[in-house]
Amino acid sequence: MGTEAAATRALQPALMRTRGLGKRYLQRTPFSQQSFAIAALVNVDFEIAPGCLTALVGESGSGKSTLASCLAMMEKPDSGEIWFEGNEISHWSKRKLAPLRPKIQLVFQDSAGALDPRFSAAQIIEEPLEIQRRESRQALRARARELMEEVGLSPDWANRSPLQLSGGQRQRLAIARAIALKPSLLILDESLSGLDLSTQAQILNLLLDLKAARSLTVLLISHDLSLVGQVADFVAVMHQGRIVESGSTRQVLASAQHPQTGKLLASVRVLEAAFQTARAGGRG
Amino acid sequence: MMPSMTSGVKSPIRYLERRAIHALLLLLGASLLSFLFSSLAPGSFFDEMKLNPQISPETVAALRAQYGLDQPLPVRYVRWVKSVFRGEWGYSFAYNQPVRSLLMVRARNTLLLTTLAMALAWLIAVPIGVWIASRRGRWDDQLASASTSLLLSVPELVLALGLLYLVIRTHALPVGGMVSTGFDRLGSWEKVRDLAAHLIVPVTTLVLASLPILIRHVRASMMEVLQAPFIQAARGHGIGRSRLLFCYALPAAANPLISLFGLSVAGLLSGSLLVEVITGWPGLGPLLLEACFSRDIYVVIGVVMASTMFMILGSLLADVMLLVADPRIRTDHA
Amino acid sequence: MKTRKKNSKKRLIAAAIFLLALHLAILLAGFVAPYEPAVQNRDFPYVPPTRIHFIDARGHLHLRPFIYQAVARADSLYEYTEARDQEFPVRFFVSGSKYKIAGWMPSHTHLFGVNAPAQVFLAGTDNYGRDQFSRILYGGQISLAAGLLATTVSLLLGLCLGCISGFYAGWIDESAMRLAELFLVLPWLYVLLAVRAFLPLHISPSQTFLLLVAVIGTIGWARPARLVRGIVLSARSRKYVTASRGFGASDAYILRRHVLPHTYGTLLTQAALLVPQYVIAEVTLSFFGLGLSEPKPSWGNLLANLQQYNVLVSYWWMFAPALALVLVSLGYLTVANAFHQQLQSGSI
Repeated sequence: MGTEAAATRALQPALMRTRGLGKRYLQRTPFSQQSFAIAALVNVDFEIAPGCLTALVGESGSGKSTLASCLAMMEKPDSGEIWFEGNEISHWSKRKLAPLRPKIQLVFQDSAGALDPRFSAAQIIEEPLEIQRRESRQALRARARELMEEVGLSPDWANRSPLQLSGGQRQRLAIARAIALKPSLLILDESLSGLDLSTQAQILNLLLDLKAARSLTVLLISHDLSLVGQVADFVAVMHQGRIVESGSTRQVLASAQHPQTGKLLASVRVLEAAFQTARAGGRG
Repeated sequence: MMPSMTSGVKSPIRYLERRAIHALLLLLGASLLSFLFSSLAPGSFFDEMKLNPQISPETVAALRAQYGLDQPLPVRYVRWVKSVFRGEWGYSFAYNQPVRSLLMVRARNTLLLTTLAMALAWLIAVPIGVWIASRRGRWDDQLASASTSLLLSVPELVLALGLLYLVIRTHALPVGGMVSTGFDRLGSWEKVRDLAAHLIVPVTTLVLASLPILIRHVRASMMEVLQAPFIQAARGHGIGRSRLLFCYALPAAANPLISLFGLSVAGLLSGSLLVEVITGWPGLGPLLLEACFSRDIYVVIGVVMASTMFMILGSLLADVMLLVADPRIRTDHA
Repeated sequence: MKTRKKNSKKRLIAAAIFLLALHLAILLAGFVAPYEPAVQNRDFPYVPPTRIHFIDARGHLHLRPFIYQAVARADSLYEYTEARDQEFPVRFFVSGSKYKIAGWMPSHTHLFGVNAPAQVFLAGTDNYGRDQFSRILYGGQISLAAGLLATTVSLLLGLCLGCISGFYAGWIDESAMRLAELFLVLPWLYVLLAVRAFLPLHISPSQTFLLLVAVIGTIGWARPARLVRGIVLSARSRKYVTASRGFGASDAYILRRHVLPHTYGTLLTQAALLVPQYVIAEVTLSFFGLGLSEPKPSWGNLLANLQQYNVLVSYWWMFAPALALVLVSLGYLTVANAFHQQLQSGSI
């Protein structure tokens, strides 16, 4: 898995690339006039290979979510460049970025918060389609049902509220909504945290299937290296706003250089069994 | 007027200074607004005179010029501000005297009425609210809730008229005005009794009108506090019910109530206007009403400013009480 | 706690039905009222409310209620006795004076009435001999309409400003909330009077009405605005709003689909609280003579009669508009409370 991908990477240009990305947040000490800066991203050089599953790992506060926000065009970096499809987009205005938005989609960690409880499951999936195109009610509903099936949700649940679904089902719903606009890049920001092991494995399987079926590029952000190591083609490790290690998964897992990677590897979990079972049993 | 959380001011004095400046700005804004409105109004005090065929238009024009009513707005405003600093606060056409002396007397009367009503209302509301909070769901709580709802539905206007009717029919009290005729001839003790007798109807109306809301807020605040762990702990220590309620729970519940106090000054002022007019109590209310009808512009502006000042004072008083009552505010921030 | 929820729902429905009936009666004032509001009976000033009888002077029971005609006492002024010689049965759906249902459809059927020369004064008459019951119904049209319209103005203003304030935050929010603070802290009656004073005194009734609605409604925008702003602030920071932006949703779309639906419950509760307050505001202004004036009836100028000492003391039926006012307040406040409880328990 590693060598193939590495070879492909050498040949194809990266889907998305950052050079020297920096971002700082200003925070005020409570009850005083002083403020201090938190460096969320420091000189980040990062590449996402097309058609591959890249993992971004690090402990909390390492800057993973900030990088994800910048890549998803939710926030602007303070310094550096972001390249997407051959364009440098870090300073583009909102209007210029608008046509790019459908191509990069973000799935959040908190599925309950990311889905409007007043909407039904089908309405949630229809929303991006409704915003971007003007199709008839029936066409939208049909598309929603297709997408539900694709992510492994029963279309009978089209009218259920997200509150009536389990955590894993909600994430599937969030993923279905995210792929509705046929993005080139899907970013999942800690979307697996809070799910139990077998559900995590099921979602990972789903991502692999989607990646294959739609030639989707996936960026998976997590704090759990051993988990994502199972499915990722490339891994990057972040620590205190910097990328301290990157390369193909095999490389990183086998010969980790940075002590931080070692720390992450140390918390190995018995995932293999669950993973293999899920794979064997098909969709769950 | 919520305290700002992000400033670096640490001393309560500085805090009060800032609020005082805020208050002055508010007064300035109110005066500007009043003047702006007055410029929109067609007609003036002398319109009635214009209709009188015996008074020539030249006389009316001369009168207007004399009082400066023909000047443009900014000039009039500056003249009024100067008048304020001179201590006159503008001039009343109807009473033919500076507004200040008029206002002082009336304001004193209104203050007497409202402070008395406020004190009584709180004195009654707090014990009732505290008691029924502890009796949540039982018959006396339900009775209190039903009665406050009913009382809340009766507008002040109706309360005032109703009380007046009762008092007149039963000939229980002297009605109308602040004092009876021949007041000056009474001995000092009789004077107090006479004043008190005249106060009963207006004060009762105001108290009855404010009670429902106050009781509700006290009850709500207390119920929240009674859920807190430290109350359970105190109960576990065997502290008696009344002590528990009044010495432990009430101080903790005081914070939102003090803020309510600041806000309720405004409501009480509005209510007192009505009550004063209906019972004939010579306060700011009847003065404002008269001035509205006769277009006595500077009196109207003066009364609006006076009432704004009362509110600001009420608010400031509430801030001071908060500072004293809530130790958290003192140490943390301003 | 389930019974409490059920009880509040029952109360909500009961109060809502009561209010609806009241509003209907007032809307159809022409039908429910036996007489026109401006009709004077100079021979019958200050007649006390007509008594409805079922048992006549001879002791017979009648199934249909009847009244006796009022006759002025020869010796004293404003005192009446009943003429027991003839019974006038109360008939329903009688034909009477012409009017227009809700202002457009002509009709002359009234809910009840009696044959001439008797007149049924359910709430007595005033010094011009005008039937108070009819005047209260017609007056209710003005007072209630003023309250409802002013509430709409306040809520619309509050909704717009609260939305903009909460959605765009920053300096817009700061200044809007400071302004709201100012409005919340002003004594409304003083401001109302002052503003009314600065506006023309003698204007046509319809202009007065619109003016009242505009002034009352504009003063009360602050509380709804603050509440809406709070809701909008919390809704707009939700992740599903961020996700919508990621799909390229415009601000208008996000407001319409994700944010505003959260405000409906609060807006309805505020409406139920504001209507009675604004009706009372109109009544107060008219009472003082700064609102609607004679001859158009409004509960305010009907109650203004009580400012005269002799009326207050001797003619207790002139308090009747106060009863109407209290019933309206009670109805709306019950609805507001019950609705609020329902909202809190999450069943709406």
